[in-house]
Amino acid sequence: MLPRRPVLLAAVLAVLPALACAQATIEGRVALPQATPAPVVNQRYEIVSKGGVVATNPPLAVVFLAGSFPKPATPPVARLIQKDLAFVPALLPVQTGTKVEFPNLDDQYHNVFSYSPPKRFDLGRYRPDERPVPSQTFDLPGLVTLRCDIHEHMRGVVLVLDTPHFVMTDPAGHFRLTGLPPGRYTLTAWLDSKTTRAHAVELTPGATLRLDFP
Amino acid sequence: MSIFRTLRLALPVVTALALAAPTAAVASEEAFDRLAAALSTSALNGAFRARVSGTVDLEGYHLPLPAPALLETNRPDLFNPRLTLFLDAQLGARAYAFAQARADRGFDPGDAGSRHRLDEYALRLTPWSDGRLSLQLGKFATIVGNWVNRHGSWDSPFINAPLPYENLTGIWDTDAVRSVNQLLQWSHVRPGLSAATLALDKRLRVPVLWGPAYSTGLAASGALGRFRYSTELKNAPLSSRPRSWTQAQKWWTYPAVAARLGYAPNPLWTFGVSASTGTYLRPSADPTLAAGFGRGDYRQRDLAADLAFAWRRWQVWAELYRTRFALPRIGEADTLAGYVEAKYKFTPQLFGAVRWNRQVFGTIPDGPRGPVHWGRAVSRLDLAPGYRFTPHIQLKLQYTWQNEPAAAPARTETLATQLTVRF
Repeated sequence: MLPRRPVLLAAVLAVLPALACAQATIEGRVALPQATPAPVVNQRYEIVSKGGVVATNPPLAVVFLAGSFPKPATPPVARLIQKDLAFVPALLPVQTGTKVEFPNLDDQYHNVFSYSPPKRFDLGRYRPDERPVPSQTFDLPGLVTLRCDIHEHMRGVVLVLDTPHFVMTDPAGHFRLTGLPPGRYTLTAWLDSKTTRAHAVELTPGATLRLDFP
Repeated sequence: MSIFRTLRLALPVVTALALAAPTAAVASEEAFDRLAAALSTSALNGAFRARVSGTVDLEGYHLPLPAPALLETNRPDLFNPRLTLFLDAQLGARAYAFAQARADRGFDPGDAGSRHRLDEYALRLTPWSDGRLSLQLGKFATIVGNWVNRHGSWDSPFINAPLPYENLTGIWDTDAVRSVNQLLQWSHVRPGLSAATLALDKRLRVPVLWGPAYSTGLAASGALGRFRYSTELKNAPLSSRPRSWTQAQKWWTYPAVAARLGYAPNPLWTFGVSASTGTYLRPSADPTLAAGFGRGDYRQRDLAADLAFAWRRWQVWAELYRTRFALPRIGEADTLAGYVEAKYKFTPQLFGAVRWNRQVFGTIPDGPRGPVHWGRAVSRLDLAPGYRFTPHIQLKLQYTWQNEPAAAPARTETLATQLTVRF
């Protein structure tokens, strides 16, 4: 008589390739807005001026599959850093319940805060080498705008989504969502706080759906 | 009782704002974003970028009379609206320019009608990208001390300036003092000034520093490791009044110089020492000087130390100024002024600040009477809670308790409130 656990494991391994084939894919392109110029850094009373060069962030979109999906067993962890007086990435999509860490990689203070209704917080001033890295858990879906109390030009966005199926476009707007469960859903492209585009989609096992958001 | 009456009047406004804030916050965010985009421009493939931003301040004071510090009013209540516009422009990585224009009821709030000024304008060149040197030319705030960095209405937790920046001494910049007795009268240590002079002497006396001292000149600043240095050559000294700050005053005959050396061992702490010297008498004092003496013989010399600490929700600042005025016919008169200030964020939006200020005066010889203090010692406590409704709207309240034992009355209270909209 074979032990029960190896039997189950063998069964799962046998089924996995089939499951993988059953998962659907969506790919396409989102028409992105024109890039805005980098902000001007307020250096009026800065003793040390380093030229006011900040990281630029090309416009990107988040494409996600809206539906009813199980929560992850363990809370996901994401990172949003402060580097060269900018939030990197400037747009971070996360699933509800994700813990986001905010490491400071600049050689000066930042003070990350948000007054957005889904998540109000103020990390205060913390040293770059402080451990643990300051973090926040985003429990409510919605748009959270991040700012720095010291550098008024800094702006970041955490998009909290009630789905594990999301992806960022590349700077040309291309996206590819893989590992999607078959069924009927709404595919949404989020461009900014005022602009979202949605399409109803029906995913069939193993198929790749092509969809553009003009 | 009047303080409570003022609070009662302010309470409905604060409550209405607090109730309306959550609803308005989201909508206003987008409106402010659109406004910021409309007020920004770029050219040369983004190599040139410029932005206009600003604040609208609505300030109200309920104060004792005569009005404290640099406030110029004969009424117990003062309303001061202020529009401030900033221009920040960047050309490549090496050139930066900024300007600040204001419309209000005077640089120091008062009963005057609406005024508008170009308070600051400067061009900064940064030859190297590592920050070792920046050269700045124009009309801009002093590099001395550490208060200037946060003196804007949005950044400072308080509505008024620390005591060294606004407490009037007995020094007049319009006339050379003729005797010890006259200096003591100017300082209000001794009676004797006519009622007409008393009514006007706020326009004659000067503090150790007049606010941010937006005088005209050039500066060189930079970083060398953990050290920060700044030097400036200006047309007017730290105590000079706003109308002396423009190039038109032609004070270049008697330039003021200042330097600051800062040390930041880590992001938590910053220490600094500053020194400054300049001729504090204005050209109108020339006829009052003794023969053979010029304004350049009478200088203000300042030595200052400052520190700043910040960690998590705490921010602490302190400054100490030792100022020596060279006085005609008297010699030298010293004063020591300083403060300690702390700010704490109770919640992401609610903060509170407390500041303890103190200024004392040294002694000067008064003939057979022996040494006498040439000014009235002052202690002042400022308490200021504040609330940020959104990243663009902030309300501050301030209670100030001042104790000047030699004055009548010795203890006074001032209430102030300031609503700021930043765009």
